[in-house]
Amino acid sequence: MTWLSDAALDRLRLAAESPDLSATRYRLVDRIGRGGMGVVFLAEDQILGRRVALKVVDVPDESGDLAARLVREARILAQLEHPGIVPVHDAGALPDGRVFYAMKFVEGRSLREHAASLDSTTDRLRIFQKLCDAVSFAHSRGILHRDLKPENVMIGPFGEVLVLDWGVAKLLRPLAGDSASEVDSSAGAVPARPGTRDGAVVGTVGYMSPEQSRGESAALDARTDVFSLGMILKFLLGEPARVSAPVAAVCAKATSLDPAFRYASVSNLAADVARFLDGLPLEAYPDTLFRRAGRFVRRNQVVVWLVVAYLFARIILILFSRP
Amino acid sequence: MNKILLGIILGTVLGIFDGATAWFTPAVRNEILGIMIGSTIKGLIAGALIGVFARLVNSLALGIIFGLGVGLLLAFGVAYMQHGYYFEIMLPGGLVGTIVGFCTQKFGARPSPTAARA
Amino acid sequence: MRQALTLQRLSPLRQEWIRCTLPFRSGVVHSEKDAARLRQYSVDGSPNSEASRGGFPLTRWSAILAARSGDSSERSRALDTLLAAYWKPIYKYIRLRWSKSPEDAQDLTQDFFFRLLDKDWLGSFDPRRARLRTFLRACADNLVSNHHRAGQRQKRGGGSPPLSLDFAAADGELSRLQPSAPPEMDEFFDREWARSVFTVGVERLRAELTARGKSVCFQVFERYDLQDALPDAPDRRPSYQDLARDLRISPTDVTNYLAAARRDFRRIVLDFIREMTSSDEEFRREARALLGADPPGSAEAHE
Repeated sequence: MTWLSDAALDRLRLAAESPDLSATRYRLVDRIGRGGMGVVFLAEDQILGRRVALKVVDVPDESGDLAARLVREARILAQLEHPGIVPVHDAGALPDGRVFYAMKFVEGRSLREHAASLDSTTDRLRIFQKLCDAVSFAHSRGILHRDLKPENVMIGPFGEVLVLDWGVAKLLRPLAGDSASEVDSSAGAVPARPGTRDGAVVGTVGYMSPEQSRGESAALDARTDVFSLGMILKFLLGEPARVSAPVAAVCAKATSLDPAFRYASVSNLAADVARFLDGLPLEAYPDTLFRRAGRFVRRNQVVVWLVVAYLFARIILILFSRP
Repeated sequence: MNKILLGIILGTVLGIFDGATAWFTPAVRNEILGIMIGSTIKGLIAGALIGVFARLVNSLALGIIFGLGVGLLLAFGVAYMQHGYYFEIMLPGGLVGTIVGFCTQKFGARPSPTAARA
Repeated sequence: MRQALTLQRLSPLRQEWIRCTLPFRSGVVHSEKDAARLRQYSVDGSPNSEASRGGFPLTRWSAILAARSGDSSERSRALDTLLAAYWKPIYKYIRLRWSKSPEDAQDLTQDFFFRLLDKDWLGSFDPRRARLRTFLRACADNLVSNHHRAGQRQKRGGGSPPLSLDFAAADGELSRLQPSAPPEMDEFFDREWARSVFTVGVERLRAELTARGKSVCFQVFERYDLQDALPDAPDRRPSYQDLARDLRISPTDVTNYLAAARRDFRRIVLDFIREMTSSDEEFRREARALLGADPPGSAEAHE
């Protein structure tokens, strides 16, 4: 029998995994990595002469479930035209029968890798705001991500923030052109297309909300993504000791175990972050007179010091004035 | 609020306050009303001058220096009329001028370019 | 070196096992009956049907379930499949992990597979709780531990000659792989399992393409994907132009043959994985484990 070296094993592994792109417009360039239900490859669109990322179902499934889920992911992406969401270009089936979709190839780093290079809290919060913009847009289209984590956020070469991997997204209302049965809303119902049965747990440990980890799929709403975003914010800000009290309050409110105590929406969370950056009072950190005064002093330190100097001079003159 | 108005209001308020502190000096307590009126007018004039300067010149450093200078000058005038107490009058006066100079440069609305051209 | 085989003094189960597994293990056809058996099981693997060629057999056959069947032909077929994927990894594992001599490791390996069926070890395997690889390794560890406790060299079948497995080849492979430091056993076993599975895949692909009159297709695949370097240029991997020149075909044919062979290879390997699993979920998990490990560095650009 043929002896297979380690190098041959690796080549065979790649050969078996690589998609058959013959009779397509794509030429395989490289393997990028593995996503939820598929593998992502770098390919070249030979008609348009640009690079794309191809996500391909990794293993065959007799039920067709994986294929349906991949197509669903592509259709969700197609509905979300936003600078913070990777656009999808194409979808279909390859000659070897595997379903795929083609999306924009983004050369960048994941947020987890990029975070180490961020110097200031302000930079981190600005990135977080962009992330919230994208997720908030998806929510406005009735789509929850359900798997937000630093690995699913890409920072592009121009500083753009992109949300990836919508494979376990939940639809709160039908996609354009679909029937009502597409919606993953009824507890225990078997959807016509792949959705999540109540009881099934989707998401990533450490970033998914408590209700998500309990498998309460039917009860999920925007606040589940708020929780995940709060955890991402905690990751971005690092050690709690380094974080100011108002920002810590924002994190705490976003990651509250009870959804009733969280921000009602991602846009509320983003607004509070914006208010923090502008030195304004926060929803998560109610203003007291003392805090307001402290904020005023921080924002107007020069004036405050001049006034203190004037008062000090006045007091000295009064105390030591000549008769 | 434009810079001139800001300067006037700030100068007036600080002038009132500055005059009121004379109450802590028993020797001049009897003349407190006159002192306060004089200080208020001084503050108003200083604030107006500093506000006009801020409208014309957009420079924090120059605004502070101008404010300090106006404050010291007007305070010198008051001290000259008092025939003394130069230090006791000019030091606080200079500080107040500095405060107004800083605030008129940092805050207050700048005239819009189209309005200026018109 | 393969030793002479004597069946008479062995139990009926042993005799059945030897007859059914001999052609596969030795890699040499001993009789027409063995050849037919080889074609039936080793070439197409799962039921020789059009459905299986498409990678989606109409009925799912599982070696795990068949190993516990009352039908002896099903059991022997199951053992074939399990042997194909696991006998070398088990043998190498016992040699390295337990530092056994070749002779002791051979005995233990033989005993392992006999007991796997005889003692119905697979009856306690639950794919929801562990992978088959982990389970079999644990069984091997238990077997070796029990041997230590027994304190004697285990003989099979009351002193009969050892069965014919190509241990020399396995020892040769082990000597090629012998790492300078003791390997991480999990990773080592998984890698050897992948090596066995891909080896089966390659051999089945060879047989299938040859039977279909497409041996050139296989040669392209063999030279490009299996060989580490050109025979006359050890520091260079073959290019499409090299293959086209050597095989006297066009580079376009090289591209097409390679794509076709890889397509068939993937199907064959996945079918083989399917035979060793008992549910769709387990199949996906095992397929991902086989295919999904990130290769070191990035792949070379396809020409």
